[in-house]
Amino acid sequence: MNKIWAVSYYTFRESLARKTFIGFFIISSIVLAILLLAINIDAVDGALAGLSIFGKEARGIDMELSKLVIGIEVGLATALFTAGLFFSIFATASLVPNMLDKGNIDWLLAKPISREALLVGRYLGGLLVVAFNVFYLVAGAWLILSIKTGVWHLPFLLSGVLIIAIFAVIYAFMVFLGVSVQNSAVAIMGAYLIMFFSPMLVERDRIYALLSNKIWQWLLDGIYYLTPRTFEVGVMVKDTVLMEPIASWSPIWHSLALGVLFFSSAVLLLKRKNF
Amino acid sequence: MNEVIATQNLTRHFSRGRVKALQGVSVSVASGKIFGLLGPNGAGKTTFIKILLGLQRPDTGTATLFGIPASDPSARKHVGYLPENHRFPEFLTGAALLDYCGRLSGMRDKQTRLQRAEILLKRVKMWEWRSTRTKKYSKGMVQRLGLAQALLHDPQLIFLDEPTDGVDPIGRKEIRDLLLELKQEGKTIFLNSHLLSEVEMICDEVAILHKGQLLRQGTVHELTTSDKRYRLHAHIGDAELLQQIRTRATTAEAQNGHLDVVVSNVQSLNDVIDLLRQHQVLIQAIMPHRQSLEDSFFQTIQGAGTSDLNNVFKTDKAEQEVSV
Repeated sequence: MNKIWAVSYYTFRESLARKTFIGFFIISSIVLAILLLAINIDAVDGALAGLSIFGKEARGIDMELSKLVIGIEVGLATALFTAGLFFSIFATASLVPNMLDKGNIDWLLAKPISREALLVGRYLGGLLVVAFNVFYLVAGAWLILSIKTGVWHLPFLLSGVLIIAIFAVIYAFMVFLGVSVQNSAVAIMGAYLIMFFSPMLVERDRIYALLSNKIWQWLLDGIYYLTPRTFEVGVMVKDTVLMEPIASWSPIWHSLALGVLFFSSAVLLLKRKNF
Repeated sequence: MNEVIATQNLTRHFSRGRVKALQGVSVSVASGKIFGLLGPNGAGKTTFIKILLGLQRPDTGTATLFGIPASDPSARKHVGYLPENHRFPEFLTGAALLDYCGRLSGMRDKQTRLQRAEILLKRVKMWEWRSTRTKKYSKGMVQRLGLAQALLHDPQLIFLDEPTDGVDPIGRKEIRDLLLELKQEGKTIFLNSHLLSEVEMICDEVAILHKGQLLRQGTVHELTTSDKRYRLHAHIGDAELLQQIRTRATTAEAQNGHLDVVVSNVQSLNDVIDLLRQHQVLIQAIMPHRQSLEDSFFQTIQGAGTSDLNNVFKTDKAEQEVSV
């Protein structure tokens, strides 16, 4: 366990040394600074009395204070789920392929550490980096909004957990691709493809109507069941913040199960690999 | 002496059997020795080391370290390794890299890691660079750091793949001295080097690998001593006597008070001696001819039928010239 933690810790440090992580952190900090300094919310007895953005009073906004807070949080959660995930994929895709590079893997595997421990450490390190950034933004925004308005809306924090969970699944898929082909670009493309096709696969019933051959339907069904349901989890994130009832939790469980499958396959593949 | 490394009939093929990297290699290394693995490029040396370190799996055969299968990570608990062309994380400083390596090697106590790092960084003359990121290091500095990380957890067995690569002549001497000190401490060192003169200077035992086959294994003395070539310290002034000697030996040359003979067996050598004594020639000494490890190596490889030997060793010779 100590060795896994060491690999995770140094993976985290490696990410810190990269500009992508710093970029992510700076963007998150700017968003928090805007919430903290640029948005002034006057609340009187739980109702919105006034709102100013960058010193200019926003007129014509007539809503309950809680709805305003939830609205901002939905916006943040959606931005995190889309742009944040895209950025996280980009920032972490090279972690495993880099580790497996010739000259690097040699001295690592010569240490008394098992291959599975090495991969688990690397995976957790990458996940830690993204979790740190997501929680920094989500928890920071939640705290600022809550203190400013007195509206303590906990479901926003849960949305952060869901975003990290779906990233964990996508990252497991990238780790699998990273071990298989040892190429960061392929890992990025694979992850983006999943995110890109996920909304289409949810609407595959409509696509069936355009297809004459049953084989295509089976193929689409197969892809749907073998890929993480990122789009549906995205809807869940929004519904969670809005406190809408969640129709089914199966998209997240299904995705997590696939994540376990991807990661286990990556471990098995790594164990069989010759360097 | 305990057997630290043992391989039995190791076979490893690539490209669906077209490339035979190892063909039934059996090697045994006793503890406390400096063992050198020699061979031209593509001989299978790196594949052999990688199998011993669990980086590759053999097609057939077995490999053990301290009696534990090489594929088992616990076999590497007491093993240090300096790979060839290694790439350490460039974002880490020298000291941070050693700390990372220590943790991966199971050194839980931070104070112990720090102490060992200080000792080793001073030993490889990298202490003043400890807080500099490795990306700013020269090749020789990276090599020194690599050596320090290989020794950090005080391993009993140390694999060094071209340890003096990129190191200046003074640095090479320091590394050689360090290896000899480690031997004094009872460590076993497995050295893979192209520099035959270096191997000859420090190794107790060597093995010559060529095209995946183990051609020879023995002590440096055994490999550099010929059982057919002798030098006799005796003055031969008589040309007729020399002619007679040549009838008993394969070749015979006399110059500067020496007689160099090549004989087919010990009996022939004794025949030559008898002849000299019959002619009242005083023999001061008889010494088996000792050739350099390089000569022995070339003979072995040539004996195995390498046609393009000059091309194969062009790089090695150039490296040796630089090292001199």
